[in-house]
Amino acid sequence: MSSVTISSLTLAYPDGTIGLQDIDLTIADGEFIALVGPSGSGKTTLLRAIAGFLTPTAGTIHLGDSLVASVSTVVPPEKRGLGMVFQQHAIWPHWDVARNVGYPLKLSGVPKAERARRVAEVLATVGLDGYEKRNPATLSGGQRQRVALARAIVGRPRVLLLDEALSALDEPLRDALRLELQTLTRSIGLTVVHVTHDRDEALALADRVVVLDAGRILQVGTPPELVSRPASARVAGFLSDATTFTGTLEVSGFTAADHPCTIPAAAIDASGAQPASTPRTGTVAVLPEDVRLTTPVDPGSTAVVTSSLFGRSGNDVVVDWHGTSVRCRIAGRRPLVGENVGVSIHRALFFGADDTAAVHTDPADTHPAASVGGHK
Amino acid sequence: MSSSTNTGTRQQGPVETDRALPHGHGTSPTRLRRRADGVDALRVALWLAVAGIILLPLSAIVLLATSNNHLPLLLSGDVATAGLNSLVSSLASAAGAVLVGTVLAVLLDRSDLRGRRTLRLFALTPLLVPPFVGAIAWIGIAGPTGPANVAFTQWFGAPLWNIYGGDGVIFLLTVHSYPVAYIIISAALRRVPSDLEQAARIGGASALGAVTGITLPLLRPAMLSAFTLVAVGNLADFGIPSIIGLPERYVTLSTLVYRYIQSGTVDKPLEVVATIGVVLLVIAAIAMVVDAIVSRSRWEMDASASPPQLLQLGKSRMLVTGLTWILILAVTFLPLLALLSQALLPAPGVPLTWENLTLDNIVAATTAKGTITGATTSVTLSLLAGVICTVLGLAIGTVVTRTRARSNPALRTIAMLPQAIPGLVIAVGWLIVAPSIGLFNTPWLILCAYVMSFVAIVVQSVSAPLRSTPLTAEEAARISGAGRLRALFDISWRMAVPAAIAGGTLVVLTAVRELTISVLLLAPGSQTLGVNIFSLQQAGAYNAASALSLIVTVVGLAGLGLTARQPR
Repeated sequence: MSSVTISSLTLAYPDGTIGLQDIDLTIADGEFIALVGPSGSGKTTLLRAIAGFLTPTAGTIHLGDSLVASVSTVVPPEKRGLGMVFQQHAIWPHWDVARNVGYPLKLSGVPKAERARRVAEVLATVGLDGYEKRNPATLSGGQRQRVALARAIVGRPRVLLLDEALSALDEPLRDALRLELQTLTRSIGLTVVHVTHDRDEALALADRVVVLDAGRILQVGTPPELVSRPASARVAGFLSDATTFTGTLEVSGFTAADHPCTIPAAAIDASGAQPASTPRTGTVAVLPEDVRLTTPVDPGSTAVVTSSLFGRSGNDVVVDWHGTSVRCRIAGRRPLVGENVGVSIHRALFFGADDTAAVHTDPADTHPAASVGGHK
Repeated sequence: MSSSTNTGTRQQGPVETDRALPHGHGTSPTRLRRRADGVDALRVALWLAVAGIILLPLSAIVLLATSNNHLPLLLSGDVATAGLNSLVSSLASAAGAVLVGTVLAVLLDRSDLRGRRTLRLFALTPLLVPPFVGAIAWIGIAGPTGPANVAFTQWFGAPLWNIYGGDGVIFLLTVHSYPVAYIIISAALRRVPSDLEQAARIGGASALGAVTGITLPLLRPAMLSAFTLVAVGNLADFGIPSIIGLPERYVTLSTLVYRYIQSGTVDKPLEVVATIGVVLLVIAAIAMVVDAIVSRSRWEMDASASPPQLLQLGKSRMLVTGLTWILILAVTFLPLLALLSQALLPAPGVPLTWENLTLDNIVAATTAKGTITGATTSVTLSLLAGVICTVLGLAIGTVVTRTRARSNPALRTIAMLPQAIPGLVIAVGWLIVAPSIGLFNTPWLILCAYVMSFVAIVVQSVSAPLRSTPLTAEEAARISGAGRLRALFDISWRMAVPAAIAGGTLVVLTAVRELTISVLLLAPGSQTLGVNIFSLQQAGAYNAASALSLIVTVVGLAGLGLTARQPR
């Protein structure tokens, strides 16, 4: 059964700015969905439309079987049976923890004794046993966010909405809460819609990730799908910091326009339509993992290192290759800033200018290294 | 940061549930948009209240003033002189107040002056002493019979400085308004991130150079804001010019209006007075617009990450400390001492010796029938005003800051408007409408005027903390199942109650010592404490007036001290 059904949802501001455009999304019961996208992409707008703080200008939202938002119908937020955690926790400072958490129950008419029991229960779930009488001002940031989470789930909501819920916390705490959040939502089978600007967090937590840009859905997919088979160069660029080149794909391979970059056909990941006899214009996206840095071979493939950061799973290096910044993740020796290196691309995803869908094969077993300059 | 950008985008859209357009198709069982609910009803009620209490008397003044053209009279002799005196005294005192306030803000909040914490409390006390009481006290210091003047007359045949007259009015207005300027400027100073100064220091500026080159220019909007507020406030102060100015025939608009109303020296006094009122209104409106324009161009400043760096006074530290202490003690303690000595002496000019001291004045002042009825009237009226202002101000403050509606800015502006309107104009407005609403010659007229003048205090004290709480607090309540009105009550109101009570207390303490409104709306049996003291002073009972002033001041200070100590 689907928990949230959104069909052709459009939301326009009076000045004509588009908040959301033709959003279609079905969220299954118990599914964990992450909404990601650059700032201004509409991810928070979509969440607030589901919550009921924004009214669509076209399209519908169903929660379960009931229609909650359409052009003529708007169920106010309080009647939607949702839970929500805000970025700045939004704990009411004038009430103690128990009153904060118990408020949704109070409003739905749960008797006092039952309420106290359920508050204690949910506080234990979020690891705050015995905090009922505490003043929110005496809590740490992480504890406040746990109280906010407890308040959001105490009423057993149909859907739990997380609006950058972890973003205000510092990194180690965010990491810990991320793990707890996943365990918790899985154990009680909650449907979750999580808005985040943290791509790794989205990929780590979600069953499916929705990538938004300029109010439209670019791609919906499981984390592995999104990383290995992005639907467009934009998605690859946003999710994986891929470098993009525009140019022409021919039988021999890809040649970038106004740039020395050429990629042999064997390294091009463009299934469905094999490198055709007729040249096609389009964009290639090169993931950081698919770039290797070598000793400089010839001027065309030579680039200058502009930044070089240490990373746990490979050094994060940016090189300036004839005016284009290329992001690479490389193992082994970390090059120095200013060093001359050769760039070699051993896999690239091609997206034709005329087709919107991605063309790709399974790249699992073929990783032919291609010294780009050598093919000039 | 992100919360503010959220708010920004939210305010742009009409896509909010409470702004959405009504729509015809009601086929679904769920609620239609734009169903008027409790919040809308509350908003209508507040508009009605504001219309009755604020807009009614103001429109009455404007209507009456435009009914006949009295402008020629304004440009003639008396009124023109009085207007010029009012203008000069208010502008000069505002400039002085801003100067003193700025120097104090830098010294007390940003330098290593010794004992600045204590000094800050002392520096604020003139704010807590009603201006007319201050005037009575300063007569004891610098009046013709003040000790310094008596000594100078004996030695040189002329007094040192006689406080009576225009210069005295300006001096006293400055003394009583610099604390307001200091509060505004020091609040702005605290918002200037110390990073900015530290960056200037790193860049090679001296400590003093960083203050004068970076911080002070950033304070300019606050200084201008303080200037307009103080100038408008002083434009129609009644107590100081009537006590200090009149003996030297220094007439200002407020004392002139008082004379017109009390003795009917012109034809149709109300119409003339209403015309003067409208002129004052226009000046106040211009000042408000200027302030609004200036505050719009205010810089956006981030919260400071590093703790403020104190300005090291170095070698001159002891000198500056000593001077500041002497000056502040002189303007705060000297008047109290003067009041005390006058209260304990049988008549002005009697030398201050042990044998001459008497408690008669104090006993007489506290037991006189007029005092007791005056105190009862004042306390009753100000308590009522406090309660009404608390409830009304809380409701307006929360609705305006925590809900979204196009009419919110208008409602807020109207509620805050009386703060910029001289008490004189407010009193005249109520005087005009009194006969038609059946409150003529009753104390309730004074109550109405008090509520109109002081509701802004509560609105302001409620809005400040509410605005710093993100709107997600109510949204969290909506998600939890609360309707709009319920969320407003359970979350916004409850969060604002402490601030509203603090504001209400301030209303009570301000109203209990009020003079301008009370003296103009004086009716049989509605003499307030302020009017009592004023009448004693006018009747020549200086020592009795001093005794009563002393009691009022001490009780007022104690009351404010207690409220200030309450944890927020």
